[in-house]
Amino acid sequence: MKKATPYLLLLPALLFTALVVAFPLVQNIINSVREVSMVKGVGKWIGLANYTHVLHDPLFLLSFRNTLIYALAGTLLALLIGLALALLLNMKIGRITTIASFLYTIPWVLSPVVAGFAWKWILNDHFGILNYWLSSAGLIDVGTSWLGNPHTALFCVILARVWQFYPFAMVMFLAGLQSIPQEQYEAAAVDGATTFRRFFHITLPNLRPVISVLLVLGVIWSFNDFNMVFVMTRGGPMNASMVLPVLVREFSFVYFDLGKGSALSIMTFVLLVALSFLYIRVLSGKETA
Amino acid sequence: MKRIILVSTICVVAFVVLLPFLWTLSTSFKSLPDVNTYPPEWTSVNMSVRPYIDMFFYMPFSTYTLNSLIVASASTIISLCTGSLAAFAFSRFQFAGKRFFLLVFLLSQMLPGASVIIPLFQFLNAMGLYDTHAGLILVHSAVLLPFVIWLLYGFFQGIPREVEDAALIDGCSRLTALRKVILPLALPGIGATALFAFLGSWNEFFFALILTSSDATKTIPVGIGLFVGEYNEIWNQMSASAVLFSVPPLLLFALMRKTFVKGLSAGAVK
Amino acid sequence: MTQRILVTVLLSLILISCGKKSDVVEIQDWNFGGRPHLMVWLRQRIVSFEQTHPGIKVVQSDKSWNMIREILYASFSTGTGPDVVNTHANYAAEFGEAGYYYPLNTFPDFKEVRHWYMPELLETTRYKDNYYGLPSSAIAFALVCDKAMFDAEGIAPPKTWSQFREAAKRLTKCTDGDGIMDQYGLVLMGGDKGGFAYRMVPFFYKAGVNFMSDDLSKVEFNSPMGVATLALFADMYQVDHSIAPGFLAYGHTETNDMFCGNRVAMCIEGPWVRGMVHEKDPTKEFYIVAVPVPDEMIDRYDTAPTLQDMVMYSVNARSKNLNAAWEFVKYLRNEEADMAWIRDDMGALAVTTAALNSPEAQNIKDLPLFIKELKNARPLPPHPQIVALASNTFTPFCEKAIVGELSPQDALDQAAREAQSVIEGKE
Repeated sequence: MKKATPYLLLLPALLFTALVVAFPLVQNIINSVREVSMVKGVGKWIGLANYTHVLHDPLFLLSFRNTLIYALAGTLLALLIGLALALLLNMKIGRITTIASFLYTIPWVLSPVVAGFAWKWILNDHFGILNYWLSSAGLIDVGTSWLGNPHTALFCVILARVWQFYPFAMVMFLAGLQSIPQEQYEAAAVDGATTFRRFFHITLPNLRPVISVLLVLGVIWSFNDFNMVFVMTRGGPMNASMVLPVLVREFSFVYFDLGKGSALSIMTFVLLVALSFLYIRVLSGKETA
Repeated sequence: MKRIILVSTICVVAFVVLLPFLWTLSTSFKSLPDVNTYPPEWTSVNMSVRPYIDMFFYMPFSTYTLNSLIVASASTIISLCTGSLAAFAFSRFQFAGKRFFLLVFLLSQMLPGASVIIPLFQFLNAMGLYDTHAGLILVHSAVLLPFVIWLLYGFFQGIPREVEDAALIDGCSRLTALRKVILPLALPGIGATALFAFLGSWNEFFFALILTSSDATKTIPVGIGLFVGEYNEIWNQMSASAVLFSVPPLLLFALMRKTFVKGLSAGAVK
Repeated sequence: MTQRILVTVLLSLILISCGKKSDVVEIQDWNFGGRPHLMVWLRQRIVSFEQTHPGIKVVQSDKSWNMIREILYASFSTGTGPDVVNTHANYAAEFGEAGYYYPLNTFPDFKEVRHWYMPELLETTRYKDNYYGLPSSAIAFALVCDKAMFDAEGIAPPKTWSQFREAAKRLTKCTDGDGIMDQYGLVLMGGDKGGFAYRMVPFFYKAGVNFMSDDLSKVEFNSPMGVATLALFADMYQVDHSIAPGFLAYGHTETNDMFCGNRVAMCIEGPWVRGMVHEKDPTKEFYIVAVPVPDEMIDRYDTAPTLQDMVMYSVNARSKNLNAAWEFVKYLRNEEADMAWIRDDMGALAVTTAALNSPEAQNIKDLPLFIKELKNARPLPPHPQIVALASNTFTPFCEKAIVGELSPQDALDQAAREAQSVIEGKE
């Protein structure tokens, strides 16, 4: 009976997951090996044809590359900024840090759809406030396009993503920082350690669990983040910022080719499962050590 | 001196970070022709609170707010209850397949919305839950669950076993120990997780859009999305709605901060 | 005794309530998008429909235009969905083929109803001998020219490609003396894939180029004249620099801002332009003229077709209240209703012959030009994959040609190859 306890504890959560995850997953696997169209519905078995179509689509490699950059750069930068701000706010110089910690969480709270539009306005080439400042300061020409330039579009959406995600990292880091036992710092002070050493030898190691969770969740969420890119660029200009979730949508709802859309989803899924599996091995390996 | 540097850094960062929000705020008071002028202006002559009022006449936002509150609260409670049990299992037990189950709970995050929506729609429709609060709550709870489990797992890990071992020696069962010892200590972590879960449901757009239909079930993000039409966007009302509906989560953040800091500084080790 | 009375009362109550229920039919209407006046009109029209048709209740739900495909596919593919819905007329092929929309020609009174509409417009809702919607909100694309800029430069709105290119070139200038261009001749909508296609295709049509063969088996936009059309824009962008460079990020908000903010002299728009521009700048004046034709086709200036687009109101093939839905659709789209499109800013044109030929229509600014263009206009080909072909194949390749990544010939040839394989189902 005792051995069953952990499984019993997992049961309710597993039921939810099964209902809402298992069914879509199975449907996607089925659809990915069949010819699916809006007109004919789920049709005949075609083996891996959908997968090869996706792999041969020039947009696939482009989207995959963009999504990797978006997920990694977006998450890492958000973590860096989140940590920096958490450290800043942890210095506790009175009321202002309380107010600031409140204000700094606003990007997380603003509706993602509206946030995307707000960034579009700010980055607008002729009427946006960013270009107004930059061109007034003589740094750029009037009308420099950020979202319309294939070379800068991806960078812009990453910027918006970092802006949206860093508050989550910041709050997690703040909680983490505040639970580091003071004794460790006091001991280090006695030993004459510099701020630098204290950071790398006490702060960071204590924050490792937080960093782990943030990385896993951040990368996975970014891989499937649809809103920001869709609102800001739709994957343009000329597919320069096309990412996997937007491409899935193109296959599934513009072409209504759910076979191809499912194949691409399964491929993304498998990749993320592999990454997470490796990650969990590392995590639980460290625990038992 | 150090204080001045710190304060000014904090202020500069605040401005940079809040730029999109400040711009949205400014737009929310403008009249439509004054939005996006050149040169860009923070204030314009015809500013008023009209957009904040007009938006309630354009769409039944009071109903949408009620719906969002119901869905977000219920999803948070459900995901927290089921999630904390699972997180407790992961944190305090060694069992076969632990790694596998940890992975399973990340799986629902790994499929893009576009590929999940049709099966989910079919499922809810078959259950008679399409366009109902219950249907959306079910989906949101399931989507929030992995996130809740992982966060709580981390927080439970941060509470040393000695604390509950002491309770067990005193004769408590595992579950009583969970209830009487661990949960109180994990309260700030649970509070933070609850906050994020609430926010996740409050701002969720895609599933809410497809799985609701009538005004009686639509949530706030769906309403906000309706401001963007084929040949017209009502930027000022859209901004007003965005600002207005940021307030509840922000209030929650402000309220939770107290328990957050208090609980943490109380310390975990006796 | 009391027991019997109670039972009788209970039974009667049940019977009464049952009876009441079977009297009132409830139909669902999903409304996608629409300018504010249209949405107001729609609500009023529903009220008057319920008053004139006791026994039918309409439950209306507003839906997000941008997510129309996801929303409709989720519902229709599971056999649910509203009784009445409005979509782009070019969904007739897709949704007709899939059996989602009910063929309205099945209703006995369709043979009278069809005569309300301009025949060319009704044809747009046809797919393989069935009509899948009643027309609404017709659109014809035209060229819009900033009056102040053109008058100051002393040029008239262009009729031919040479005049068009020349006008754009002359109106591209630096207006504030700092040496940097801040006014451009033309703006395009590169940030909205569908919108871009809708602004390119009118020029192709005016040049006599078909998007596809009439039997929908072959792509034809890469004909020599098609290449010449695309080359016109490529030259304007790369040689004259007269197209606003940021166009790849512009949706209709940005193009409207550019036009109202005096950053561009010309744009390609439909009947919504007056309402949209005046919402932002009530003082702005402009000329609306037909989309220019190639120089050698000037004799066909008055008859060359522009691009037509339209909304249609359709009935769900799986509706449980087909007749009630049909009554509602007819009421929304009859001649009386259609006059609202003449009298009010619905962002589009009327569709009934009565409204379009009414004396009122002749007196409203811009309408005569749009109506004239509408009479010759042609829609996109009624192919089930046309939405994807226009926005995901035609648009990206055209954009690449304009910015210079590909030559116009290569771009259109590659686009044609891709489109052909989609048509043939090889994709």
